[in-house]
Amino acid sequence: MKTNLEFGPICRALLRNKVGAVLIALQIALTMTIVVNAIFIIVERQALMQRESGIDEANSFYLTSTGFGNDFEPKRVIEQDLDVIRNTPGVIDAIQINAIPISGGGWSMSLTTEPGDDQEDVSTANYFVDAHGINALDLEVIAGRNFTATDIRWRERNQPDWPDNAMITKALAEKLFPDIPWQSVVGKTVYIGDDEPVIVTGIVDKLQAPWIGWSELENAMLSPEKMVSESTRYFIRTEPGERDRLMAELEDTLANAYGNRLIRNVTTVTETRERSYRQHSAMIKILSTVMVLLTLITAMGIIGLTSFNVNRRRKQIGTRRALGASKQAIVRYFMLENVIISTTGILLGVAMTIGLNMLLIEWFAMTALDWYYIPAGMVVLFVVGQLAVLGPALKAAATPPAIATRTV
Amino acid sequence: MLSMNNINKVFRTDLVETTALRDFNLTIDEGDFVSVTGPSGSGKTTFLNIAGLLETYTSGQYVLDGTDVSNLSDRQRSHLRNEKIGFIFQSFNLIPDLNLYDNVDVPLRYRGFSKQERHKRITQSLERVGLANRMKHLPAQLSGGQQQRVAIARALAGEPRFLLADEPTGNLDSQMAKSVMALLQEINQQGTTIVMVTHDPELAMQTSKNVFVRDGQISEHETLVPVALASNQ
Repeated sequence: MKTNLEFGPICRALLRNKVGAVLIALQIALTMTIVVNAIFIIVERQALMQRESGIDEANSFYLTSTGFGNDFEPKRVIEQDLDVIRNTPGVIDAIQINAIPISGGGWSMSLTTEPGDDQEDVSTANYFVDAHGINALDLEVIAGRNFTATDIRWRERNQPDWPDNAMITKALAEKLFPDIPWQSVVGKTVYIGDDEPVIVTGIVDKLQAPWIGWSELENAMLSPEKMVSESTRYFIRTEPGERDRLMAELEDTLANAYGNRLIRNVTTVTETRERSYRQHSAMIKILSTVMVLLTLITAMGIIGLTSFNVNRRRKQIGTRRALGASKQAIVRYFMLENVIISTTGILLGVAMTIGLNMLLIEWFAMTALDWYYIPAGMVVLFVVGQLAVLGPALKAAATPPAIATRTV
Repeated sequence: MLSMNNINKVFRTDLVETTALRDFNLTIDEGDFVSVTGPSGSGKTTFLNIAGLLETYTSGQYVLDGTDVSNLSDRQRSHLRNEKIGFIFQSFNLIPDLNLYDNVDVPLRYRGFSKQERHKRITQSLERVGLANRMKHLPAQLSGGQQQRVAIARALAGEPRFLLADEPTGNLDSQMAKSVMALLQEINQQGTTIVMVTHDPELAMQTSKNVFVRDGQISEHETLVPVALASNQ
């Protein structure tokens, strides 16, 4: 038997009894607003967290060596240490480095393509590495050449000048010289501190700066230097699976190799990434929890309202059954009622979602919501609504038609 | 029109077994206006529920307008109910959130009629009970008698083969009861078979046939002789 959908009568009945329906529609709208924006923020944060630093994070760690005593000779100890580390089985390569990518602390500077203090500059992170830097950091020189031993110099404390050459990331090359192919940047001169020339001798594929929230995260320069300092940091890349063993082993080895120093802060790059992105992951967890809770509360609200309506309308449902409604027709009635309430809430939610996103853009400089989040949110909330109403609707359908003849 | 043979209805709980109808036999012919009377708990409502396909029975045979309903599915019973039976309830059972038009429309939608057909039937049936000018009113805006008239209009709109009325005047004052009874008689005279459960012997006397039920069975010697029948004899 063909049954007419009761769209009109349901709408009219809802308008006469609107408080519960309006509250649920508002709850759906609010849920959609928060859930869609939260998902967008989560996806954005996840994308940030998934950015590659460019180094072999899984197999790398670093440690700090701090010497003390009048007879401490930094250059000799550093050379000895690097020699010991590089010759340890399981180590691929090691360098002394001034900063660790994505760790939160490091050096930055400004580069210009012409001398003079009125030139537009580009900011970059600066890493001091020797000729082993490329191998230790697992970078690839995609144009030009790697440093050679003769390029490397010792940087004394507070030394103001810079080496004659440097390698830069492809991203930095494109920022500095946007009008020429990045490969052509090799051989170009850039200027540090307005007028100190440095020739770009190589371009590496990718190396992130230490600051994950920095807008110029992909800008990095490798300077061919080793630092004369009592406190120094070694970056070590190991064979796959050897990292954890070598962390303990090299800590002991270095401590035993030279007595007047402390080996501290033995840390994996994986831990560093986790620490640096902790705020992001916390935000994702909080937003996910809020989303799940809100969706559950909305679903429970729908279940509650429908259950209340089913109990309140038991006699009506029995009467409808007596008048010829099949069980399916009763289920369909409640599902359709929910479609009307949900659609109202969802449409209001679309406007509120866009409104909240506009406010977030204005207040927190967030990016605009991608259009497809809105239809996706609409579908999700629609499905949640229909699933939530199904249980009470089936309960309603089980109402016996004989209830219609009961007078109490 | 309606034939019940040895119908038994037993209600069972974990502790108690109650027989509501016992070897119940009844035949109602087309055009009859049958009143069903009997004391409270005698089985009148159970009979009505089974006759109206609102409830199943434990054993026996029930043939409604040529269809043995014993093995029908819930969906088939709903269909049959919608097509063949019109219900009039003691407390009217109008849906309070729907206006009169939408109330009368309820069974017609389940029937699958077109919008035009439904409109025609709703208007005609409301006209028939004298409430066509109030079709946008809500039930709460009507008197009890008017509400029962709407319920009658709802029952008639689908042009059923027979009407089942459960104490149709039970909630009405005597004046309104009279007018509702007159309407039912008019409907019956136009060919619709009516079965009416009532406590009121005066109303029962105005029907063409009376069935007195006691302890789940028809009690022949207590059966009333309706006025029309008596005058014929």
